[in-house]
Amino acid sequence: MRTRAEANRQRWAILGFAVAILVLSFLVLKSTYYQLVLTQVLLWAVLSLGWNLLSGYSGYFSFGHAAFWGLGAYTVALGMLYLDLTPWISIPFAALVGAVAGAIIGYPTFRLRGHYFALAMLAYPLATLYVFQWLGYQELALPMKREAPLLYMQFEDQRLYVVLALGLLVAALLISLNVENSRFGMALLAIKQNEPAAEAAGINTWRWKMLALMLSGAISAIAGGLYGVVLLVVTPEAVFGMLVSAQALILALFGGVGSLWGPVIGAMLLVPLAEGLNAELGDVLPGIQGVVYGIAIIMIILWAPEGVYWRVLDRFSRRAPAASAPETAAAPVAANVAPLPRVPAPLGADLLVLRDIGISFGGLRALDGIDLAVPEGGLYGIIGPNGAGKTTLFNVINGFLAPDRGAITFSGEPITGLRPNQVCRRGIGRTFQVVRAFSRMTVLENVIVGAFVGARDDATARQMALAALDRVGLSAQSEAIAGGLTTRELRLMELARALVPHPRLMLLDETLAGLAHDDLDGILTVIRQLRADGITVVIIEHTMQAMVKLVDHFTVLDHGRLIASGQPDDVVRDASVIEAYLGKKWVDRVAVPAK
Amino acid sequence: MGIGERSGIPHLTPALSASRGGEGVARPVAKSVVSSPCFAYRRAGRSERKVAVPFSSVDLLQALSAGLLVGSAYALMCIGLGIIFGSMNVINFAQGDFLMLGMYAAFYLTAGYGVLTFLGPYGGPIVAAFLAGPIVFAIGWVLHRFIVARVTGAGVAQIAGAGAYGQILVTLGISLILQNGGLILFGSTPVGIRTPLSRQSWEIGDVLLNQARVVSFLFAVALAGGMYLFLSHTRLGKGLRAAADNPQAAIYMGIDVDRAHRIAWSAGVGITAIAGGLVATSQTFQPYIGFDFVIVMYAGVVLGGLGSNFGAFWGGLVIGVVQQMSTLILPYQLQNTAIFVVFLLIIFLRPQGMFGRLSERT
Amino acid sequence: MDRKLTRRSVTAGLALGALAGPGLRIAPARAQAKAVKIAMIAPLSGPWARQGQLLRMGSDMAVEDINSKGGIKSLGGAKIEIIYADAGDSTEKAKNAAQRLLSDHPDLVGGSGAWLSSFTLAVTEVTERAQLPWLTLSYSDAITNRGFKFVFQTSPTADWQASETLPTAIKLAEAATGKRPKTIGIIQDNTASPVSFGKQLREGGGLDKVGLKPVVDQIFTPPLSDATPLVDKVRSGKPDFLLLLTSAMPDCKLVLEKLDEFKLSKGKVPLVGNGAPFGSPELLKTIGPELLEGMLFSVANWPMKGQEDFIERFKKRTGEPFLTQDGLCGYGDVAILKEALELAGAADKLKVAEAIRTMNLTTGPAAQSFPGPIKFDDKGRRQDVPMIFAQWQKGVPITVFPTDLALAKPFWPSV
Repeated sequence: MRTRAEANRQRWAILGFAVAILVLSFLVLKSTYYQLVLTQVLLWAVLSLGWNLLSGYSGYFSFGHAAFWGLGAYTVALGMLYLDLTPWISIPFAALVGAVAGAIIGYPTFRLRGHYFALAMLAYPLATLYVFQWLGYQELALPMKREAPLLYMQFEDQRLYVVLALGLLVAALLISLNVENSRFGMALLAIKQNEPAAEAAGINTWRWKMLALMLSGAISAIAGGLYGVVLLVVTPEAVFGMLVSAQALILALFGGVGSLWGPVIGAMLLVPLAEGLNAELGDVLPGIQGVVYGIAIIMIILWAPEGVYWRVLDRFSRRAPAASAPETAAAPVAANVAPLPRVPAPLGADLLVLRDIGISFGGLRALDGIDLAVPEGGLYGIIGPNGAGKTTLFNVINGFLAPDRGAITFSGEPITGLRPNQVCRRGIGRTFQVVRAFSRMTVLENVIVGAFVGARDDATARQMALAALDRVGLSAQSEAIAGGLTTRELRLMELARALVPHPRLMLLDETLAGLAHDDLDGILTVIRQLRADGITVVIIEHTMQAMVKLVDHFTVLDHGRLIASGQPDDVVRDASVIEAYLGKKWVDRVAVPAK
Repeated sequence: MGIGERSGIPHLTPALSASRGGEGVARPVAKSVVSSPCFAYRRAGRSERKVAVPFSSVDLLQALSAGLLVGSAYALMCIGLGIIFGSMNVINFAQGDFLMLGMYAAFYLTAGYGVLTFLGPYGGPIVAAFLAGPIVFAIGWVLHRFIVARVTGAGVAQIAGAGAYGQILVTLGISLILQNGGLILFGSTPVGIRTPLSRQSWEIGDVLLNQARVVSFLFAVALAGGMYLFLSHTRLGKGLRAAADNPQAAIYMGIDVDRAHRIAWSAGVGITAIAGGLVATSQTFQPYIGFDFVIVMYAGVVLGGLGSNFGAFWGGLVIGVVQQMSTLILPYQLQNTAIFVVFLLIIFLRPQGMFGRLSERT
Repeated sequence: MDRKLTRRSVTAGLALGALAGPGLRIAPARAQAKAVKIAMIAPLSGPWARQGQLLRMGSDMAVEDINSKGGIKSLGGAKIEIIYADAGDSTEKAKNAAQRLLSDHPDLVGGSGAWLSSFTLAVTEVTERAQLPWLTLSYSDAITNRGFKFVFQTSPTADWQASETLPTAIKLAEAATGKRPKTIGIIQDNTASPVSFGKQLREGGGLDKVGLKPVVDQIFTPPLSDATPLVDKVRSGKPDFLLLLTSAMPDCKLVLEKLDEFKLSKGKVPLVGNGAPFGSPELLKTIGPELLEGMLFSVANWPMKGQEDFIERFKKRTGEPFLTQDGLCGYGDVAILKEALELAGAADKLKVAEAIRTMNLTTGPAAQSFPGPIKFDDKGRRQDVPMIFAQWQKGVPITVFPTDLALAKPFWPSV
């Protein structure tokens, strides 16, 4: 997310770029051929920007953007052939078609993740290709309108097409810029970083993903529509083929995925390169142009896996993850922790109550009849050996999983079956085991994600994020690049993110795992301070040792069942607990004191 | 009730049953029909159809057998892709082009340079197909060592998604090079391996089974079985699976993950190449043919379940069957659309496929 | 082996051509008049590279013949220079090639190409607006349906081809067997040209006109994965003959081999194809002569009577086993342009276009390269030209009909 000043700078850059292209087209390039190639560069850049809007920002890789491009082209072609519709109308209409297609495709497909999503997207344009062939639309030639060429967007001067394509590109860039700088963009980045965490932080991931796909589809389709007008011949292979989808992502990946200018850079470098190779070498040694193109792509990717833009940026700016500020681990945590002006409430009524929660996966009973009651202000620990179901328990409380039976209430209100972002809004925050930070962004930027729920505008979000950082003692590092943080600092940052919306209950998932002894103490202090501020904390951990010092109350899970519950000292010596952790042999060795 | 009329069970060898005597009506062998009460019953003359559905049980079985035979080649290709995907989490866009390399390797071993002509027109193509495997294995090894490994693998994946992007582009680049390099080296004329088997068939009732494809089927199944045993019973195989499941842990346990990936990659492309060699007797090909198979391979792997080689085999088989049997009810032109529909249905209804792991690794 | 020599020599030739570069272009340095430029756009790389290379072989030979015999007489012996551009593997590349040609060589007077009908469509959108006369062998409906004035299609329209193919096949059948065929099986792919052909048969009433009932009617999307379900339908439908409209050789091979496998080949179900892929050397290489023996196919252009020397010359020059439509049309297009230049008397594309519109050639190398007179109507189509039938006989696809153009006698395949 950028500051206003940076955003304005980008707008000026876009304007400057547009002017440069106009100068290039009207004053420098003399032949119609170059104008045609320039038009194509711009159109492919728009497609790639559309792709980037979805896949670059959210991480949901689409291998099927040809579907939108093709629908746009066919909308224009069919409109002109059968309805005598001028492209001035049908091209904007194509954007609508693209958006609707995005909604139809997104509705089922967003239930998938990762590779499945990408592969499903691969299927759509190819299936559509066969359908269009079957329908008899093998070759559609846009009729030449000699009587009213301008009305039908048939210009003699090739440069007018450049102007139109440039217009689309500028619009796409401005849209992308606005998205990047808004909470829309933030949400997408949060989804890319860690979708469950984003969901748990109150972001309605479904809505944002759908919006991204619809917008992406609209942009791609409108570009496809203009492409149809430029090419004048629309065939299923030309607009729905795999090469189109591949082109969309090659340009973005090459130029700099997830950045504003990446797709443009990719288009400006690769499209003329490919065309130039075809022109010069096409009839010399057929096939050599493909070989050279392939080698060029590979070489660049070996040098810059995330794209030219990021590589160049890393090299020339201080934002390189490797070259970060030296560790400031020396500062003791306790001194930085500023307590909130809140009177710590005494252990109050039960805040979170689980009754008979059960959930099974296939034949495996992950949780079996769990009863739990966490009073307000308490510091509860849930421990158990690997596979006991601790994280599953959190996932159920959080809303990622719906239990097969049982009920959960929070502050008296039932929350069973609510989606994670809704649970977050009720006041439950959660940290995750694996901390995935945006290594190129600052700590503050990483944490602002958590501000979605409470903040109405960006300024408030920033304030809330800063306050949260203060609470965990990371204020000094708020502008540090996240890529250079230590494990301890990363955990604190994760904690801060979950704290931003002022939750009443915090679920901490293995926050202490893997920390060295000194680091451990620091975090424990922070957690204790949280409780002192009135936040109820439930923490999952593996290791008894750290927890014994921390919590008021232990609950022990094993194989999905609660096997012990009570004061730490008692639980540690409980025979069933020892058996669960160490095995039957050890039970006999440990003396069981009389209760 | 005659043997053939037992409900629902198509009777494949009426000739045999008739000669055994036994129960049922002896049927004239020459025009024996496979029947079941569910489908239209086609009599000897075939001049009239009592149709409830527009195809007969013969058509059904013919399409099914064609699907299985074609599907066995797809299955082998899918295993290759599945090994790569399962071990390295890499979507290899160049898989179809390695298939093409296998076809050409087999071609040059038999018809091209005549290295294996001494084995005759029956044995030559099969041996050539299998030799194509090690040849393409070696090519894949080199490619991985110098290019692919730099953008994939345990070390790379940790950099905020950089590995994921890089590998897609690298495989696309490799695909371009293989296709066009193939055009330069092999020329654009479509070629094929001639074997008399490609136009002979074995008859089971009225169902004809193409001999070349049956031979491919048998070898494909054998190879798939061999791979399965290899992966589950040898140290190398188990190491591959460990590296796939948890690269970090595998490293700690002393498994050279990078080498494991290289072996997986090379084996994956090698197996697909063998599949290509087997198919090369049934159809003609030119350097761009890889494209046609990429979709089929991915559909099959996803259908079977990403991460399960066993599943990849079944997935490929099912894709072949769907492709051929869809022609019974859909217009022939929508053959491949049917594949996509099934592909999408599986992804939505059962994303882990038939045999895949339940959850995606995070 | 023949094929290797062919490919090797072609590749060597192309490589040498690349190295020699401009030197190999017909240099006007020693000519009395400036060279006249024509263009050819063809797929030289990508899946259709083979076809493009064949076209190029034909046109190179034509340019050489013309220039060695004194060039264009009405232009003072000016030589012809042909510029090639690669249409590649997509309509975008084809269009770019056309635009590039026009930008780089504004003095082009005519051109031909681009083999694949969708490429031709894209290319002619450019050439029409530049008023450059353009010849093509593609024949899908859209090519001449656009009201263009500068596009000239040397192949008869799909409608015409369909309406000529069936009656001739029936005539041949009747003459051989004494019985008139009543049923037909149709297997075609869904690319534009077969679709146009098929449209005439079904919606245009072509089948009704000759009294044929389609008992098998299947359209597939190329590439074909397996021909079993298709041929299974032929087996059960038992048509009197089978019409094959497949535009790619690999699909032809699959269908033909499957027919053999189902014991429907070698005359059991007589085969009539349409399109040049049925006569390709690759088909012979991959299937073998016995299976092809007797197969008839109708095609817009095929080596005819009177071209025997020409055929031998072509074979010797290129190493190809026999001459096919692509090589012939490549030659013929250049010959037509040369005649047009002679008639126009000026290296002016508008005059050349007018010359093509008004020409009616019955003699000369151009007329000898195509069946029927070279005469185009106002839509750019050739009307009333004979449809050529070729038949595989002893491993060579040879013209058998019409009789005055035939190089051998036809026979109707039977068991």
